[in-house]
Amino acid sequence: MAGHDSGSILVFAQFQSAVDEGFWHRLSSLKLNKLGIDESPIPITGYYAPCSHPQVSNNLTLLAQSLPSESNEQSSTAATSRGNRNRCPIRGILYNTNTIESFHTLDKKSLLRAEAKKIWDDIHTGRAVEDSALLSRFLLISFADLKKWNFHYWFAFPVLVLDPPATLVDLMPASQYFSLEEAESVSAACNEWRNSSLTADVPFFLVSTDPNSHATVKHLKDWETCQSDGHKLLFGFYDPCHLPHNPGWPLRNYLALICVRWNLKSVRFLCYRESRGFADLGSSLVGEALITVPQGWRDHQSLPNAVGWEHNKGRQVPRSISLAKSMDPTRLAISAADLNLKLMRWRALPSLNLNALSSIKCLLLGAGTLGCQVARMLMAWGVRKITLLDNGRVAMSNPLRQSLYTLDDCLNGGEFKATAAVKSLTRIFPAVDAEGVVMAIPMPGHPVSSQEEDSVLEDCRRLHDLIDSHDAVFLLTDTRESRWLPTLLCANTNKITITAALGFDSFLVMRHGAGPFVSSHDFKVEAANASSAVENIAQADKDERQRLGCYFCNDVVAPIDSTANRTLDQQCTVTRPGLAPIASALAVELLVGILHHPQGIYAEGEVANSLTSESSEQPLGVLPHQIRGSLSQFSQMALVGHSSNSCTACCSTVVSEYRERGMEFIIQAINHPTYLEDLTGLTELMRSASSFKLDWDNETDPDEDDYVDI
Amino acid sequence: MDISSWDGTISLAEFHVAARALVEKWKRVSSASPPWSWVSCPKQPWVASHEVSVEGYLSLENIILVSIKEEHDELLSFPQKEETSCSDKEESIDIATLSQSDRDEICYYDLHIVYSASYRVPVLYFRVYYSDGEPLEFEDIKKHLPAHSAKTLLDSKWTFITQEEHPYLKRPWYKLHPCGTGEWMKLLFQGDVSLARNGAAIEVYLISWLSFVGQVVGLRIPYEMLNQL
Repeated sequence: MAGHDSGSILVFAQFQSAVDEGFWHRLSSLKLNKLGIDESPIPITGYYAPCSHPQVSNNLTLLAQSLPSESNEQSSTAATSRGNRNRCPIRGILYNTNTIESFHTLDKKSLLRAEAKKIWDDIHTGRAVEDSALLSRFLLISFADLKKWNFHYWFAFPVLVLDPPATLVDLMPASQYFSLEEAESVSAACNEWRNSSLTADVPFFLVSTDPNSHATVKHLKDWETCQSDGHKLLFGFYDPCHLPHNPGWPLRNYLALICVRWNLKSVRFLCYRESRGFADLGSSLVGEALITVPQGWRDHQSLPNAVGWEHNKGRQVPRSISLAKSMDPTRLAISAADLNLKLMRWRALPSLNLNALSSIKCLLLGAGTLGCQVARMLMAWGVRKITLLDNGRVAMSNPLRQSLYTLDDCLNGGEFKATAAVKSLTRIFPAVDAEGVVMAIPMPGHPVSSQEEDSVLEDCRRLHDLIDSHDAVFLLTDTRESRWLPTLLCANTNKITITAALGFDSFLVMRHGAGPFVSSHDFKVEAANASSAVENIAQADKDERQRLGCYFCNDVVAPIDSTANRTLDQQCTVTRPGLAPIASALAVELLVGILHHPQGIYAEGEVANSLTSESSEQPLGVLPHQIRGSLSQFSQMALVGHSSNSCTACCSTVVSEYRERGMEFIIQAINHPTYLEDLTGLTELMRSASSFKLDWDNETDPDEDDYVDI
Repeated sequence: MDISSWDGTISLAEFHVAARALVEKWKRVSSASPPWSWVSCPKQPWVASHEVSVEGYLSLENIILVSIKEEHDELLSFPQKEETSCSDKEESIDIATLSQSDRDEICYYDLHIVYSASYRVPVLYFRVYYSDGEPLEFEDIKKHLPAHSAKTLLDSKWTFITQEEHPYLKRPWYKLHPCGTGEWMKLLFQGDVSLARNGAAIEVYLISWLSFVGQVVGLRIPYEMLNQL
């Protein structure tokens, strides 16, 4: 500062970087497909334009096309050809590292010096005069974390430091500096320069004004021709900065060029800025700088100091950006799935309750033909929490009909179905919260020895807990007796329960009615009528018939391990392949119907073409109790059945016995199947009806009017 | 064009005509704002060669939105902790460098108008991002829309914003779902007798369309654009 008592130090505003998302996408793709672990520097192109907004500086921007294209591929966006006035190309270099550690340990000082040296060389050899954009060469270091989709980066805009620094004689808006005539002429000349595709993207130029106030804009290499007397000369450049009292960064190396090549100590410069696509002499600045050429600058070999690492919020630290939302495939899958459902709600079903679907917890007992399909359908409806219970392993014949398994799951004895199912679901949709439980369901009529009793008890408790911690239970096993305990437990806790059962060419899909015991705050419909002091009313005798039935309500025999009185389940181990998908789909649609019905589990069973006004108002349509379908007829019908006082699984007698005696009761039922029949009075019933040959399919219980034989 | 039997949709060729008309009129009327430009995309080699003209879309980019401050800083807080471990101060303080405090968080938005072959209508794709390129969440975008835009967005049964892959850039962009467009374009044209009569209906199609969808993203359409001339 000594000896310069007139001006103050010329202070420049730093270049500001802006990286378009497309750049990171392209870099990631390059890294994954082409570069691999290669860390060699990559030539890139940055783009900038003169400031065009009074309050916002323009940036040096990186776009997808800033990077070289991948080998033989032609980029889908047109490569920027020269002559784009909004995209002056600036050469840069990218050092992309493979780890965050190497990113932080890059020798930033020498990288900066290396780039500064290139600029220095270009100045001394004259290349910068031919191709002035070389003065604004930049450097970028980065680390792309392609697992978390975070990008760490740091720009440097190297400038040669004048020591002592340049000082400012004056700085004012160009409109103040020029006379009216000059201003008009300068504007016109600049606009012409900017509109010609040959010069639009040349960021450094000379403005020569003759004594008649006529201005011309010329290339730097024409400097010699501007030396005539009476001609005023301005060194112009595209200034990205908007500030009224500071010129932009490109001026720094420009001054270095001017003082080295043309040995000037006083420089009049024009910070060219625009507004609305035209030269704006109000925001453009004209100033005069005084330079003291430092010792050693004559010498090409001695490189001056350089600065230029971009400040991040005032500090000299790198930046980072997270693009997980738009690049992480899992997140993209989630938003695509949500989009699908939202579209459905928007266009067809405004009352669709997506929250209920995404928060419901479903337990699937059985991961076979039915279980696999139900799980997939649930995911399609946006259900995220699915638990599958099955104790079997995937067998060679399974993948054909059980849609979650492939051949790989069958090898080496076969994976546990519950485990394989969870893996498969997660592969289909990573955001699913799927859990597998490998466990057998204790069954009545399959007596256990005293050694096994403990583990059976454990299984019972585990099942009890599972049912407790879920909101809806699907009974998808392949035996009748395995459905008994779950039905009881669900009736006890009043959980939504859906049963699907297959015959050879017929199926049953039904929702169980509510449990026999309901506290007044559960029973929404009659909440208004029920006395608030009453809790746990056994709705038993008078209301039992109002409850919809469960899978066993129609039976007059307890579930036993025998081939007599076979139910649908037990008749066949083979079914027509089309049945399982149909039944599974209906089961899930039934659940969705329940979730959208104002009375939920208490909803009356509806039959198609019902005249009750309620059903026509429900947007999802009717909510049946049972659907029985026949593939041989390609027919299907909705039926209603009410609960039975003597049901071995859900009647109040059985449930209260369970509530009182717990596991002891369960073990008894498991070991002595006739116990259930005695308990519920079925034994009595059977004795009195022993003259009938009771075959489940041909049963005609006079009380169950609603029943129709298939 | 017979408005009564028209379903509100246009063909690809008509889209090109309408696009050209929009670009020209916009340049004439609203030279203050940045111009719409057509971005051509080379045809994929497997597209049938008898397809009309070159594919592409209209683009209006880097529009400055508003300045937002606080939220962005919070978003960045987690990675900052790593940065401070970078111990070395690379440069001594250079007195010729202006020390700039936090620049205002300026937001930019890009708008693209793409033709949808399956719905036969134009579709508006948009995205909003901070100056460092980080995209804004849709919830944040809504916050910074002018009040009446947000209202149009939320109340209208015609507008449904979804995030889908941009057909040319292959990245997620927000878009105004096109399934209602045919219907309301028909309504728009039916409501304006002069439009129905003039043969120039196709040329104002995009302009009329933009006058509606633009509201949703807070794009100001100069009044003169809508004048029939």
